[in-house]
Amino acid sequence: MPGPADDFPHDDNLDTEYFMTDTPLLQVTDLTHSYGSHLILGGISFDVMPGEFVSIVGPSGAGKTTLLRALSGLMMPSGGSVRFDGEPVTGVPAAMAMVFQDYSRSLPPWLSVEKNVTFPLTGLSKAEARDRAHESLAAVGLLGHESKYPWELSGGMQQRVAIARALAYRPRLLLMDEPFASVDAQTRADLEDLVLNLKQQFDITTVFVTHDIEESVYLADRVLVLSKSPALLVEAIDVPIPMPRDQITTKELDEFVHLRGRVARLIRAQSDSAAA
Amino acid sequence: MAVTVAVTVPAAARRHGGPLVRILLSVGVLVVLVVLWQLATMTWKSPFFPEPLRIFANIPKVLTVDSAGGSTSPFFTDVLASIGRMLAGYVLGCAWGVAAGSVLGRWRAARDYTSPIVEFLRSVPATAVLPIFILLFGLGQGMQIAFIAWGVSWFVLINTASGVASIHKTLIDVGRAFRLSPAKQFFGLVLPSAAPKIFAGLRIGLTAAMILIVTSEFLGATNGIGFQLIQTQRRFQLVDMWSWMLVIAILGYLLNTVLELIEARALRWHAGSRR
Repeated sequence: MPGPADDFPHDDNLDTEYFMTDTPLLQVTDLTHSYGSHLILGGISFDVMPGEFVSIVGPSGAGKTTLLRALSGLMMPSGGSVRFDGEPVTGVPAAMAMVFQDYSRSLPPWLSVEKNVTFPLTGLSKAEARDRAHESLAAVGLLGHESKYPWELSGGMQQRVAIARALAYRPRLLLMDEPFASVDAQTRADLEDLVLNLKQQFDITTVFVTHDIEESVYLADRVLVLSKSPALLVEAIDVPIPMPRDQITTKELDEFVHLRGRVARLIRAQSDSAAA
Repeated sequence: MAVTVAVTVPAAARRHGGPLVRILLSVGVLVVLVVLWQLATMTWKSPFFPEPLRIFANIPKVLTVDSAGGSTSPFFTDVLASIGRMLAGYVLGCAWGVAAGSVLGRWRAARDYTSPIVEFLRSVPATAVLPIFILLFGLGQGMQIAFIAWGVSWFVLINTASGVASIHKTLIDVGRAFRLSPAKQFFGLVLPSAAPKIFAGLRIGLTAAMILIVTSEFLGATNGIGFQLIQTQRRFQLVDMWSWMLVIAILGYLLNTVLELIEARALRWHAGSRR
């Protein structure tokens, strides 16, 4: 029986099931980044396991977006390493998709909803791409809007298009950068439930950056709390609340209330030390 | 836009009248001006200012009968020749303007290094450098095409560079995050998002091309609308001269309309996304 030894072989033919439980999909080791002399990320390490939903929460200006850009390979960090599926990340990996905060900028306004979903797809026939788009649009509840343009839709619907685009791309890891920061509260709750549903349905490993404490706990299997800049990992908090979760009943659970309080205290401690 | 008005009067009608009313009004204004022009020329008879109705009626003649006595039809030898040269120069100038403007727009350092030269060269009126083009290319079609291309390219270049440079960072990230090929990032994301500004450049460029084709045909040309204009003027064929002026005006109007239709089609999304 091969075990995790020093000469760990990177071989696609290995029985992946065997390693499933102890091989992280994303490995972040001592990640640092600075703009000039200004240190943004102060050395962050964590792993994300396959199928896990990890949210990253921290005070505003903590460098959450910088961290996500480094994880995605959109930006090369100053130091440390990011490994995706065992391989060092030097550019955006093929099996990674992103949903950006600014949906009005991330969806090209000259493309219809359907084209917005299909344009990143490669190696598919037109019909296959269209089927894939319809499938993804159905999953986010937007079937029937294919021929509309993004600007004809509400903000929440536009972000659904961005999510459908990411789904159609069939990623193994989904990175979401404060995706619901600019929609109203009701839409936000709907989108949160949509993301939870999709996670159950498609089993996509997700890293979700937010500044909303309640959201970070509600969605995640694990919450990573960042310190103020330069960002350090203050604490990783497991959220052992079973799925499916519910906007009302889950948030009434003692466990949820406690976890939310714990994250909030950690964040407030950061702001207090900033004010002092 | 939310405009609260009385139920019986639609907002659009209150502001500008319905589409039919607006067309009738604009045609009406045109007719009134032509009538005033006609009356003025009939009152103060001057050989230099013929009556507009004579000028209009003379247009078929100048297009079909060679004023120098030849047997060819000026519509083919002059009008189409001018359009051909103008479009050749225009397309060349636009292609170069979009290409060079894209490089400058995407490449910050190149933009910084070249901006004094670009600012200087584009400030020189194209007509002022016509002698250089005659020196370089001699008299003839090649010179005219190069001259028009030069004059047009600056408007397109400046607008393209500005449009390409102002693409939102998120859209660039989208292209990279979904691993689009460099070609697809450029043609699929960068160029379309710069298209509104590029089209603004194309429109100014077309106006410039009209000015430049007429000017370039004033000097040493043997045919063309500018050549006909200057020839009829020199021969004191004043009604013919006025008719050529109108032909040029109508041509400019038609070409502009065609470009506007293309733009409206290509940028359908733009008007909507800005509401």
